[in-house]
Amino acid sequence: MNIFTRLQTIDRRVLYLLIALVITVPLLVRPGRHPRVKFNEVRNAYKTISNVPKDKLVIISITWGPGTTAENGPQTEVMMRHLFQRGVKFAVVSWDQAGNELSYEIGKKLEKEMGKKYGVDWVHLGYRVYYPQVVFRGMAQNFQKVMEYDKFHTPLSKLPAVSGVKTSKDIGAVIEITPSGTLELWIAYFNGPYRIPLIYCPTAVMAAEAYPYIDSGQINGMLNGVIGAAQYEALIGMQNAKTDAAATSWALSAAHIFIILLIVVGNLGYLATKRAARGGNGGGR
Amino acid sequence: MGQSLHHIWTWLAMPRHGLALAVFIIGALGIGALFLGILCSVPARFRKGIVMAVTFIGGLYLSLEFLVPYKNVHTGKYPLTEVMPTVANLEIVIGCFALLLGIWNLFQIHGKTLMKFGKDWYNSAIFFLTFFSIAILGFLRDKGVHGTPEMFSILFSGFLLSLQSTTFSLIAFYIVSAAYRAFRIRSAEAGFMMVAATIIMLALVPVGALLTAWLPETGFLSAFRLERIGYWILTSPNMAAQRAIAFGVAVGALATGLRIWLSLERGSFFDRQL
Repeated sequence: MNIFTRLQTIDRRVLYLLIALVITVPLLVRPGRHPRVKFNEVRNAYKTISNVPKDKLVIISITWGPGTTAENGPQTEVMMRHLFQRGVKFAVVSWDQAGNELSYEIGKKLEKEMGKKYGVDWVHLGYRVYYPQVVFRGMAQNFQKVMEYDKFHTPLSKLPAVSGVKTSKDIGAVIEITPSGTLELWIAYFNGPYRIPLIYCPTAVMAAEAYPYIDSGQINGMLNGVIGAAQYEALIGMQNAKTDAAATSWALSAAHIFIILLIVVGNLGYLATKRAARGGNGGGR
Repeated sequence: MGQSLHHIWTWLAMPRHGLALAVFIIGALGIGALFLGILCSVPARFRKGIVMAVTFIGGLYLSLEFLVPYKNVHTGKYPLTEVMPTVANLEIVIGCFALLLGIWNLFQIHGKTLMKFGKDWYNSAIFFLTFFSIAILGFLRDKGVHGTPEMFSILFSGFLLSLQSTTFSLIAFYIVSAAYRAFRIRSAEAGFMMVAATIIMLALVPVGALLTAWLPETGFLSAFRLERIGYWILTSPNMAAQRAIAFGVAVGALATGLRIWLSLERGSFFDRQL
């Protein structure tokens, strides 16, 4: 087997070991340096949240679970952190059973770190069965009647953060954090009809689909995967903090470069083998 | 008449606790079972008609509410939209029944395997063990029973979250292997795709910006910075393609929605004896 054939047939176990190393090392080293470049959609998300009036509620919609924690977790954390920093009240609602617990843990961690209080500065509305179209419309008409209780079955009327929220007019923005295509539902049934700003936080693989909606103004800002979260962290003054988002953005950098190198190596082998085969056949026609 | 209905609804929707709540839950389940029993005893051709009528009325309400917001001149309100919160609650309840259906289905499949000691019966045993332990511990934790939060955390964070994250993260290994083996420049189109993919992969991560950081931030040459080229690919060619896909999907969804609403859809339960 010559070198060109070998370049095309690296054992997959070697590849698995290498990618594990490439991803793990930055996550263990945890560099604090955040991306220098900030995408326009991330800046717009920051501006949108910065402009939400303090007497209005922000809804954080959670559709993610453990599978995408690496991307959606830092997004959730940075959005909650910014809202806590600004003193804007927010309500988290989860459409995923596991995301229900995960988002609550993130909220509790930040609440402790930033000296906030559950029920006063934020609430968690718990897990809701995923039938959003009608729920969105109902929530816009009568928030108290459709949501009724928080995660612990406390009536919303007893929680100062949300007791005054009656209709869509009391909602300042929606932040949709998701690994799936739930964006159109918010646009069609909530943010579009009631003119409420929408921030979209998808996994990077879903972000490409959202650009037409950014262009049309139906999305006010977007955090493009964990890189978007890292850029947002830099915008709220955490440019040198050793966060999960920063570490992951460097792990992704290393992984992307590794994949590109593998593609190049594979193609070099492929082209060389092709050329050798032509040479063996008398240089082709 | 309207007021009486309103009173009945208010009485039904009142929050209840303890024995009253238990009586209401059992009563609701009994009425539900009675309704299903009556529906099952109706001849098949009428039953199909009932399902079709309910589907049509449900779809009609949602379409009219969304498309024709009729405003009452006396009250200044939208009558159809006014009842939307109630419809939303009804739909949440129906959604919960779908959850029950899923659980029932899992119980049937794993129960049969376990009873017969069929192939991989131990997986079914593990299903029942984990299902009941996490459910019971979750209820006990919510009731504030001492020690249960820690045990629940072991099951939830230690097992469920780790297993789901591990399963999903396996994709990274397959992507690497697939990209290396399948991404060959066999044609001009494949070459274009590889160049675009490489630029996007670099543009979206911090290292991409570092690679072309030597280029000026403004002026003509700034257009050649990797993050700018990547952004152009995402916001121009990608956006055009995404719009075309979105239009196609929307037309397809409209056609499918109409077929379901008017009960024209073949397959599912309409072709079978109900």
